[in-house]
Amino acid sequence: MTKNHTVWPVICILALFSAPLAIMYLFLVVDTFSNSAPGSFLPHEFTLQHWRFLWNPDVTGDVWKPTLNTFLFTISMVAIVLGVSTTAGYAISRLNLPFRRFFLSSLMVMHAFPTVTLLIGVFLVLQYAGLYNTLIGVILVKASLMLPLGIWIMKGFYDSVPWEIEMAGVQDGASRFTVWWRLILPQVKPGLMALSIFVFIDGWSEYLLPRILAPAAQIEVLSVYLEAVSDPDSVTYNFNLFKSVGLFYTLPVIVLFVLFQKPLMNIFSGGTKG
Amino acid sequence: MKNRANGLGLVLMAPAVLLLIAFFLLPATLTGIFAFTNMSTSTGISGGAYVVTETVLRKLEATDLDPKLRAGLGEKSYTVNAETLAAATSADIEPGFLAEIEDRLSGKTYAASSAFEDDLKSLPSRPRRIRDLKLATEPFERSVINTRYPDRGQFEAALQTFLPAATKADLETIATASYTGWTWTRDNFIDLFTRADTLRLVANTVFYVCATLAFNVFVGLFLAIAVFYLPSRAGGVFNVLWLLPRITPVVLYAIMWKWFTWENGFLYVAAEDLGLPAFNYMKGSVPTAWATVILVNGFVGASFGMILFSGALRAIPIQQLWSSEVDGANRWQQVTRIILPQMRWPILFVTSYQTLSLLSSYELIWLTTNGGPGSTTTVWSLEAFHTALNNYTGNLQYGLGAAMALILVIVGLALSILYLRLFRFNELVSKPKIEF
Repeated sequence: MTKNHTVWPVICILALFSAPLAIMYLFLVVDTFSNSAPGSFLPHEFTLQHWRFLWNPDVTGDVWKPTLNTFLFTISMVAIVLGVSTTAGYAISRLNLPFRRFFLSSLMVMHAFPTVTLLIGVFLVLQYAGLYNTLIGVILVKASLMLPLGIWIMKGFYDSVPWEIEMAGVQDGASRFTVWWRLILPQVKPGLMALSIFVFIDGWSEYLLPRILAPAAQIEVLSVYLEAVSDPDSVTYNFNLFKSVGLFYTLPVIVLFVLFQKPLMNIFSGGTKG
Repeated sequence: MKNRANGLGLVLMAPAVLLLIAFFLLPATLTGIFAFTNMSTSTGISGGAYVVTETVLRKLEATDLDPKLRAGLGEKSYTVNAETLAAATSADIEPGFLAEIEDRLSGKTYAASSAFEDDLKSLPSRPRRIRDLKLATEPFERSVINTRYPDRGQFEAALQTFLPAATKADLETIATASYTGWTWTRDNFIDLFTRADTLRLVANTVFYVCATLAFNVFVGLFLAIAVFYLPSRAGGVFNVLWLLPRITPVVLYAIMWKWFTWENGFLYVAAEDLGLPAFNYMKGSVPTAWATVILVNGFVGASFGMILFSGALRAIPIQQLWSSEVDGANRWQQVTRIILPQMRWPILFVTSYQTLSLLSSYELIWLTTNGGPGSTTTVWSLEAFHTALNNYTGNLQYGLGAAMALILVIVGLALSILYLRLFRFNELVSKPKIEF
């Protein structure tokens, strides 16, 4: 395209719009490694003291226990979502299922449907089932809420696998199960990869469900931990410290996102809610 | 072959169906059911007991229950029988004394504590201290008031021994009034439709959704088009910057906004330096609180719009733009005549999808202003959440909260079905090619 306009005015307007974000994220990193004089933002000294919470549990309480909880929570959730979406996605995409259209359209409604409105119901279900205040309960809930999207994404990946592969397998005498397990699953590996990264990031960031459905201290996850220690009305009011805790908490997400940006973008545009 | 494949399909679907029923269908149904109950922390969620308390007695004053019966409910009596003797044994009363009570007073009933105490005083091995004597009467005390009866049958049996004069209808009145569990009611909806707060809440919600939606769509569109025209390196910087809120965990994102708008935060210090009013912008005044709520949600939503619009932009054949330039069109004409008309569907999709998300998501409002100052930035979903799961009084009103959620569920279902029609998702269903 020809340059029939200079780009600078556009960049200026964009920069103006983006300024709050740029400032917030810039200072998120800068503040964790430095101190600045009161009433000013420019750092005047380099320090590692905001990271002392990593080895000194007196600062904000033990951070490693919530980290382990978060890890267990996220990994189990990824396992459930991945396992269930892989099987259900294949069934919906390729098998002659009774009520297939019904499954598919209810899946779409569930995906478009805002799940937070069900929270009161979910809370009562967990209470009745005796799973309230357990990590298993939150894992099941969170995994189930992610299922419609997961199944939908896996269905998309299965749809793009050529039918000929399957037909050839059936022709050679393999059962549909063997065809799926030996021939089709290897074809959707990129999909499994993208979905698991996506689910991992989402689960790692989850705040609402653990906070409401499992408030017990011993199963606290990092998001709840961070929110609890960073109450600005508390006595130990120190934004730099909270930012360090926050950055520590977010690092895995950022790393995964940077490494797997391309496949993730497909899922992001596939429709998470915002 | 057909049947075998059907079986496999069902087996593969089973885990998903089970989980979705347990955590989608069941909660949605429960929300619908509990919306018609007065369930709360104080009633419990799984049935209650029957207790006559002072409150219940006051409540019964309003009914046509015979005042004599009502007085009888509040009275205490003293009975010596096997049951009360057992209670006394476990209450550490001196065994000798207890044996004498069993011997001489078995089967007697006293209407007043003084008569019972007089009889106890006549026993040879009575305790010396009057306080011990009074303590000894306690296990023999029998009253309906403040006693928990786990089920209706036991409660009515107890009532009949205390109030022999009570009729079936009287028992019914008393049992209804003294039930501590939840009951069916339409009051939640009547309450919601008559309360003055409701209108405010609806107005807040409409304002929040419209303002944030406008921000999301316009900023998202602007970002996507601007980045599209920028050289790829500069565009990439803005792309990444606007993606960050999407991948940042909400709690950290909320804390960053707190730092930005709170006392001694970024804006505070900047405003002080510039001589502008400096205060806690997130909670200090209504306009700044609204601005914060809209921006906090808007920045996340705009990136959603940006991703989708960028995808749609890349799908526009670039030759159209080239040929328009040959014809002398400038950027503005390209945007309004070529790009925007082809972006109709993505814009509609983002608008409808975000309406639904904004109506029901309250996480960021909860973490930032929490509906404050006062309840000026409280929206419907946040209020439902606070009513049912997180309020300051400690009495969580599951029933009322479920009623509020039910209204959202209905709106959500209606809108999702509308979108499905609008975007013809049904066409995505392709027939299987092996068995059919």
